[in-house]
Amino acid sequence: MTFERKLSIRINGQTVQAAVPAHRTLLEMLRDLGHVDVKRGCEKGDCGACAVLIDGEAIDSCLVLAWTVEGKDVVTVAGLGDAEAPHPLQKAFIANGAVQCGYCIPGMIIAAQSMLNETPNPNEDNIRLALSGNLCRCTGYKKIFEAVETAAAMIRGEAIR
Amino acid sequence: MDDTTAGQALANTLYRQIGKGLVRTDAPGKAVGKTKFAGDHSLPGMLHAVVLRSPVASARLVKLEVEKARALPGVACVLTSRELPDRLAPTDIPGQTGQVRMNTDQQILVRERIRYFGEPLALIAAETVDLARQAADLIKFELEPLLGVYDPEEAMRPGAPVVQGEDNIVATHKIKKGDMAEGFAAADKIVENTFRTQFIEHAFLEPEVGLAWVDENDVINIRVSTQVIEHFRFIADTVGVPHNKVRILGSLVGGGFGGKEDITVEIYLALLTMHTGRPVRLEFSREDSFVGHGKRHPFVMTYRTGVTNDGLITALEVRLTADAGAYVFLSPYVLLYATVAAPGPYRIDNLSVDAKAVATNNMYTSAFRGFGSAQACIAYEQQMDEIALSLGIDRIELRRRNYLKTGEPISTGYPISSAIWTEKCVEQAWAALGEPTPSTATTRIGRGIAAYQQCYGRLTFLHDTSEAWVGVEVDGTVVVRSGVTDIGAGQASTLAQISAEVLGVNLSNVVVYNSDSATTPLAGTTTATRATYMTGNAVKLAAEAVRDRLVGRAALHFGVVPSEIVLGDNQISVADHPDRFMPFVDVVRMCAAEGIHRSELAIFRAPFTDRLDPETGQGQAHPDYTFGAHAVEVEVDIETGEVTILKSIAAHDVGQAINPVAVEGQIEGGAAQGQGYALCEEMIYREGKLTTPSFAEYLIPTAMDVPNVQCIILESRSGLGPFGAKGIGEPALTPVAPAIANAVSDAIGVRIYDLPITPERIVAALKAREGGC
Amino acid sequence: MYRTFKLDMPQSLSDALNMLGDGGAAIPLAGGTNLLVDLRANRISPSHLVSLDKVQELRVICCKDGTIEIGGRTSVSDLLRSPEIAKGAPSLAQAAKVFGGQMVRNAATVGGNIACGSPAADLVPPLLSLDADIELTSTTGRRRMGLAEFFLGYRKDARRPGELITRIGAQRLQTNSVNTFYKLARRKGDAITVVGVAVTLTVAQGRCTRARIALGAVAPTVYRAAAAEAMLEGQTLSAPLIDAAARQAADSASPIDDVRASAEYRHHGVHVLTRRLVAQAWERLN
Repeated sequence: MTFERKLSIRINGQTVQAAVPAHRTLLEMLRDLGHVDVKRGCEKGDCGACAVLIDGEAIDSCLVLAWTVEGKDVVTVAGLGDAEAPHPLQKAFIANGAVQCGYCIPGMIIAAQSMLNETPNPNEDNIRLALSGNLCRCTGYKKIFEAVETAAAMIRGEAIR
Repeated sequence: MDDTTAGQALANTLYRQIGKGLVRTDAPGKAVGKTKFAGDHSLPGMLHAVVLRSPVASARLVKLEVEKARALPGVACVLTSRELPDRLAPTDIPGQTGQVRMNTDQQILVRERIRYFGEPLALIAAETVDLARQAADLIKFELEPLLGVYDPEEAMRPGAPVVQGEDNIVATHKIKKGDMAEGFAAADKIVENTFRTQFIEHAFLEPEVGLAWVDENDVINIRVSTQVIEHFRFIADTVGVPHNKVRILGSLVGGGFGGKEDITVEIYLALLTMHTGRPVRLEFSREDSFVGHGKRHPFVMTYRTGVTNDGLITALEVRLTADAGAYVFLSPYVLLYATVAAPGPYRIDNLSVDAKAVATNNMYTSAFRGFGSAQACIAYEQQMDEIALSLGIDRIELRRRNYLKTGEPISTGYPISSAIWTEKCVEQAWAALGEPTPSTATTRIGRGIAAYQQCYGRLTFLHDTSEAWVGVEVDGTVVVRSGVTDIGAGQASTLAQISAEVLGVNLSNVVVYNSDSATTPLAGTTTATRATYMTGNAVKLAAEAVRDRLVGRAALHFGVVPSEIVLGDNQISVADHPDRFMPFVDVVRMCAAEGIHRSELAIFRAPFTDRLDPETGQGQAHPDYTFGAHAVEVEVDIETGEVTILKSIAAHDVGQAINPVAVEGQIEGGAAQGQGYALCEEMIYREGKLTTPSFAEYLIPTAMDVPNVQCIILESRSGLGPFGAKGIGEPALTPVAPAIANAVSDAIGVRIYDLPITPERIVAALKAREGGC
Repeated sequence: MYRTFKLDMPQSLSDALNMLGDGGAAIPLAGGTNLLVDLRANRISPSHLVSLDKVQELRVICCKDGTIEIGGRTSVSDLLRSPEIAKGAPSLAQAAKVFGGQMVRNAATVGGNIACGSPAADLVPPLLSLDADIELTSTTGRRRMGLAEFFLGYRKDARRPGELITRIGAQRLQTNSVNTFYKLARRKGDAITVVGVAVTLTVAQGRCTRARIALGAVAPTVYRAAAAEAMLEGQTLSAPLIDAAARQAADSASPIDDVRASAEYRHHGVHVLTRRLVAQAWERLN
């Protein structure tokens, strides 16, 4: 017996239709739909690589059943900005050398944005706490923290130090 | 004097691109989620593959029943060893070196004998991942447990179960230098300690993944996350096709660290696509990754050092035992690196090293950043602290009295000709710790440092080469073609930066095509801290050849000699005559019109030597070495045993930082990996079975755990790399764990000799010392 | 995971309860941070899941009299955002802060953390230290019990088939009281607890009038070290007394050896952390 539904989902501002079984996770569905900027790292909620914004909050998409996001706004890192009009976080990550292999970066940027939605003027502790669920093996995190601070200042409209 | 004159000359050169923290060319695509990794591609009609693995470490496969799995609708193919060619998968030296390989290969799928937990039993390809997993669950197998062995010491005892070869000893190396009896006789004191390190997992964020298909020319194409595209040869040999019928398209790699240096998914993909005639995708789950690729070698390292009361080392005797796990893979080389690195950056004329790598039924061990040199540093730098303590000499002063200097021979008798700035690095790192943080009733503060010597470039008896192609388009833009794989340190961007410098254009004018074994000149592996050195030099040679022709044509145009021509900012001009210039593209067009060759394929050769003497271990082992140090201040909670790193300072002589921001990135990342190595990472095998199979049990440092690392980048410009560069990839990690171990020991007044230094081990050590607390 | 199931997404509590009342085959799904991991690992294979995602009436934090009422579907991040929790249940705020990573905090729920039955569930020691009670609701009605009575054994609780955790009531911290929590783990970020200790002390006229010591990850369930608490209540605390009570707490634990730590280290952790938290609380109150 397969339990399948035709969902209407809003992803990066666009509504798409998809026929999806009950057990399909949001991560699987997003990648099947071509949103390969959402990365698979562990499928257990340990690494944060698959994080997306659901109604503005960062959630590990591997732990969400796709059916439950109908009616919600799902945003992936590609939905925050693109090469022509990058989001301040993307700009700051690029400029600050925070991107090495890049695999953790979509999840990092999503987690940072989620934190900034609530804490627009974060200190270092806020940033570390907000990113503790995003594992990175390349950077040692330092340039990521700096990029988030820089982006926060940009978003607040302040001059960048 | 440690400074070389060549270095001094380079120090005065002004660069436009080199030494600048330019934004890496790969960063924008990654930050906006546009960059595709190997797992982000798909093809119409693509099948999905799954690997069925052994649930025990040592057994005989009695029966394997796949009929039900094959019969499941939607399953395209189930492969067991019965369907495979009667060949083994090569696991020996990757890359183009052309050396005679050792017979160290591995069965592709288990035929009869299971040697490690997770060893692949079958491959399944189906229409969906769900179906493939369902099919895997339908496969029934019967195993007869075989007595296994899980400790190298036990594996060497007579009568132990044999995992490899005749006696489980898969490699031995030794160094015999000087006169040990005389050396120890000259000592006032002998200090002996044994240090142990653990299995470590690479924990790259991107699991192993690839997509393969057979194209219209019957070429097996494999798009894969790999550090080595040259594996196409091994893959071709294994599946039984000519070398030119396998094409590896290397994607940007989501982290490697040596864990994607061996073949991972490629052979499975090749076999499945050949059998089904359809594209096949295979992505390891995280659990697959944890059990499916080789780990860092655990080492047991016994150091016996003779010293005078003044702290001069008169003799050093080292015994190294490495757990090679179930298959040989790169154990002989890891062992050799550890052997060569054994004394550290110190002048020791009476040296004896005996090293063995021993097979067990644990997971096989292979390449990991540091490659044996990291383990050696954990031993030699802790040993230095112990010696200092035993003699009552300051730890920095003891090191200072023994540093190796430029022109002096390392363990293998080979004299270093580049700068050796160990003393400078140690002093600067130590000084940057500043005033000690005060301790409290429940915390103790400690400081530690570790100095190191880490090779860059491969073993010289491998006769390493790297090829690169640089060309200028008629519109003045530049193309670089290199097989180099970019595993996250900006390997491709570095090549763009180098060619931009040489040709006097901007980074944005250069495009790098890389990582295609069919169309980009083979660069060799991205391993062994060789990419900047080997491929950077190859690109520099190629770019210089093109530049020389452009310069020659421009000189003709201006009526001057070539040495008076200057390139920069997309212009060609006459030195000291700013009014005599023209756009770069104009010279290019002249050359194009006149048939002057606007491109060059260059080859860079590392020094070619013979193998080290098998009895004495003497000879040249590597092209050159990087030297540096890492210092930390730690706070230890003496009740809970928790360790917090308060300050972390790295000081490395990188020769010349091609991109200082990228260099910092390597150092900061290496510091985090070293922290995990020292304090909280351990792959724990019980009877060969992995009990830490995910990120929930295997703990790498998170954003809450790491301190802010301060990077002190020194540039002697004396390296063999382009513009006097040395290498930093592995050196960034090597001194960190021993620095932390030394700091913890300093804090609590007792040393824990086994890594990781967990809170529990600290509490136990404190209790043992105080007889309970 | 490839095994599928019936998935309902009720919009109201009563709908959810009706769906869960189908004879016990249905399992409630809240944040999914445990359940989806179990599904993928094939530890469970339910035929029917009832998602509480849209049952907003269970996502609430409100104060009435001396109690902070927390809806079962309240997320861990909700706890962190709440001024009532910060002020009235500080140990719970501390536990919420070190709970997993941000994404897990955004999804995980109080009810889910209690229901998963793990002795390492970080929200439970703080709740026990605040004398929490728990409301269970089904189609046949509601009942309340002390949270301590809810846990019957390792991963066994008092829920009957069809019952949902709808409310948790924590006693708001009184004046002259301190309530703290410490999580001992193998790393600072996002790690499974090795020893979790929550302590409440209330002091009046130089004496400890109330002591709560709740211990996590050191026994088959989270529990209160009642004998240790009794040693402190009514007393003027001193270093030796606090140490003795902490030793009693350590002796009361029955931890296991696992990949994270040995039983011996866990006993030790209970001792030093109980001693530290009680001593720090006593000092703050005097």
